[in-house]
Amino acid sequence: MLTPYEKILFAVVAAVSLYLASVTFRRMIRTIMRGQGRLFRDGLPGRVMTGIKALASQNNMIRNRPFVSLAHTAIAWGFILYMAVNLVDVLEGMIPGFAFPGEGAAGQAYRLIVDLMTAAALAGMAALLIRRFIVKSPALDIAPQVQLHPGAADGIRRDSLIVGFFILGHVGFRLLGASFDIAIDGPDPWQPVAALAAGLWTGMEPSYLTFGLHASWWMAIGLVLVFLPWFPYSKHAHLFMGPFNLMTSRDRSSPGAMDDLDFEDETVEQFGAGRITDLDRTHITDAFACIMCNRCQDACPAYATGKELSPAALEVNKRYHLRDHMKSLAKDGDDSEPLLAYAMSESALWACTTCGACTEACPVGNEPMFDILAMRQNQVLMESAFPNELKGAFTGIERNGNPWQMAGDRMEWTETLDFKVPTVAENPDYDVLYWVGCAGAFDPGAKDTARAIATVLHRSGVDFAVLGNDESCTGDLARRAGNEYLYSIAAEGNIETLNASGADRKRIVTGCPHCLHTLKNEYGTLGGRYEVMHHTQLIGDLRNDGKIEVKEEEGTRATYHDPCYLGRHGGEYEAPREALAAARPSLVEMARSRNRSFCCGAGGAQVWKEEEKGREAVSDNRFREARETGADTLAVGCPFCARMMNDANKRAGEPMRVRDIAEIVAESMKA
Amino acid sequence: MNIIALVKQTPDTAQLSASMDGLRLSAEGGPRIVNPWDEYTLETAIQAREEHGGKVTALCLGPPEAADALKTALAMGVDEAILVSDPAMADSDSLTSARILVAAIRKIGRFDLIVGGRAAIDGNTAATAVQVAALLGVPLISYVADIGSLDPEHRTISAVRLLEKARETVTSRLPALITVVKEINEPRYPSLIGIRKAARASIPVWGCNDLELDASTVGAGASGVDWKTELPTTREANVEMIDGGPEDAARTLVDRLMEEKVI
Repeated sequence: MLTPYEKILFAVVAAVSLYLASVTFRRMIRTIMRGQGRLFRDGLPGRVMTGIKALASQNNMIRNRPFVSLAHTAIAWGFILYMAVNLVDVLEGMIPGFAFPGEGAAGQAYRLIVDLMTAAALAGMAALLIRRFIVKSPALDIAPQVQLHPGAADGIRRDSLIVGFFILGHVGFRLLGASFDIAIDGPDPWQPVAALAAGLWTGMEPSYLTFGLHASWWMAIGLVLVFLPWFPYSKHAHLFMGPFNLMTSRDRSSPGAMDDLDFEDETVEQFGAGRITDLDRTHITDAFACIMCNRCQDACPAYATGKELSPAALEVNKRYHLRDHMKSLAKDGDDSEPLLAYAMSESALWACTTCGACTEACPVGNEPMFDILAMRQNQVLMESAFPNELKGAFTGIERNGNPWQMAGDRMEWTETLDFKVPTVAENPDYDVLYWVGCAGAFDPGAKDTARAIATVLHRSGVDFAVLGNDESCTGDLARRAGNEYLYSIAAEGNIETLNASGADRKRIVTGCPHCLHTLKNEYGTLGGRYEVMHHTQLIGDLRNDGKIEVKEEEGTRATYHDPCYLGRHGGEYEAPREALAAARPSLVEMARSRNRSFCCGAGGAQVWKEEEKGREAVSDNRFREARETGADTLAVGCPFCARMMNDANKRAGEPMRVRDIAEIVAESMKA
Repeated sequence: MNIIALVKQTPDTAQLSASMDGLRLSAEGGPRIVNPWDEYTLETAIQAREEHGGKVTALCLGPPEAADALKTALAMGVDEAILVSDPAMADSDSLTSARILVAAIRKIGRFDLIVGGRAAIDGNTAATAVQVAALLGVPLISYVADIGSLDPEHRTISAVRLLEKARETVTSRLPALITVVKEINEPRYPSLIGIRKAARASIPVWGCNDLELDASTVGAGASGVDWKTELPTTREANVEMIDGGPEDAARTLVDRLMEEKVI
């Protein structure tokens, strides 16, 4: 199709484009490689499948924002198809007589699919442009209290406009090309949309039509060649960096399980992330994979309550900083600018509840939560600059083995029970180790829950024991507050105690999802491998075995608040609901439940400090939602959720009853 | 500026247990900590150095285990730590302790400012630092809640003392000794880098020979004061939960307190 001059011109333009792209892509890859750790490749076929599946199915998108996701799916599928279409078009242009896949049925099908997908992609892109620039969807804004790179707000708009017109132009000119083809060669029933467009050229001179055909080819293919080197500087890079990110990320034992730091290695001089090159490579990749859709921001409890934190802004700020410094970073240049100078404010850093909603919501597998945790590590381990209230909790764990700084007896909660709770020393042949947790031992509300759990265990004949005063804080709060060193000391101590107690050969049950998550998912790398259950899971087993019978209590309606560390981090949504439904058959769900559950505000060591300034308390926001269900009982499965919801309940004038599921079950057990 | 921080290791009085040998430090005597007032001492000294340059030396008198307290001091950021320890010095009273500390301070040499805590939580005499000042013949400003100005060039210090019902600003020449109260600052939490530096640091131990002290002039034998401590016996406490709204609960609480003749 192309003239010889055009072919030469194409070869030159393509060569220049590929050369420039090799320069900018290498720059991007070298920048990523400035990070720590590695990009993961183990089990490569599975990883590749993960990426392909995410790209082809668009599953990660469709869970939220259905209409936008539909438009995106049209564009994404269109683009996947266009990878083949562009190749075919280039070959058709360069090789005279080349026609793929011919004129037969295959060709008809190909032309029909391309034609329809072209129309769908154009419609999808138009819809997204209208959403951003005409409807001005507020979901695309980042609130003014959040720190944002000075160039980002305009930059994102400009980038979106360029990408939008690139897609409209690329796909649109391909359509016009097909329409000129029809105008020249005659009607093609297999390209209904192009045929419709061909109507525009009725009566046009053949030379104009040929010019139109060539011009369209050049625009459609030329736009790709122009855009190609620009990809690493555009958020549109997400189309391959998204799947790449999903393919190269760390396999975690849970979505929130953190990596250990090596404190033995004397040559290590940086702990946590002070600067962008201290972040993991996978987390620098996050910034390149981010399309700035703000889905993580939609899910973030800190953002929803007016704090300075937006996980989306974090990725945007990282990306714009990288954009500004990519050339120097790629050449091993020094980047001395602290992350806290541009990525987020200190208040934002300490506003994160580590609920994991951001990582759950992100379609491209970004983990903003882990950047926050790494930055907290830098603040605690390197700078010793963190909210003052946390010092008390740290000192408590160090000296008293609990963050409350309580020097008391960890068995005191058992004194009002009418049966004896045995310690491991008293009952070394136990079947189940009940890990009470610091809350169960010291928090007045959680002691009631601990007694309820012990009662359920006792009445259903479970042979159990507790560690008593040998139990100590798991270190979850220290770890989530950035004090990895204290966590490692706490963890090693507990692992020694647990293994000496034979807990590694038994089952552990706990009422605290934070203890559960740490014992089950984080101690493994330090030599503590345990089978750990939440009390509601054990209740489920006991009911299945007919060990306990629960009376249904009619006339009360309960709603259930998913604890982040049992739900999103622990993957358990059903056991608590089943245990609760046995006693309270009329369970009403909150709008945000299961993997979309909204945090109570306690996690990530928040409960040990003042809440960062914002519009409202996270707990009030969640409690309001619970109340709107019309339920009279708010069932919880975590002592910290219980405390936050109890406080919110008190502030609201106690319209609800806040109870742990263990208490509800214990109350309604048939004696 | 050369600053000396006086640090003591004490039992964690929040965790007194019957297994402890009174309030004396012993290996099995429960957890031992940096005297909480001395955390403020260390923070004061470190902040002064951060502002005016120079060097902070932490000085501790105690058994060999007290080196742990100096590790904490090093982790917080002091430049040097010296442990004064000798079996002969055991059970020195405050005046004898002050004499030993003064010998150590003279061995350290030049100093511009000595900082101590208002008291140690175990003996609670609040006397040792005062006696050190007296023996050295330097001015003392006690109960300091704020250092208004510290001027190494003109060799003056102006500090605010926290008195029971007033605040008193005292100006003195340097060298001087100050004792601090917890209102003065917020002690820092040692960073991991600090902890690692402290773990690598060697802490010199000075005994009677190093300080050229005759063993007969130190320890229990040379002390005019002897003491005996009894740990509080646990008292039976009744817990009574008061239900009701804030106003009702407050009213009930007042009634109950009056019934019990507490008020």
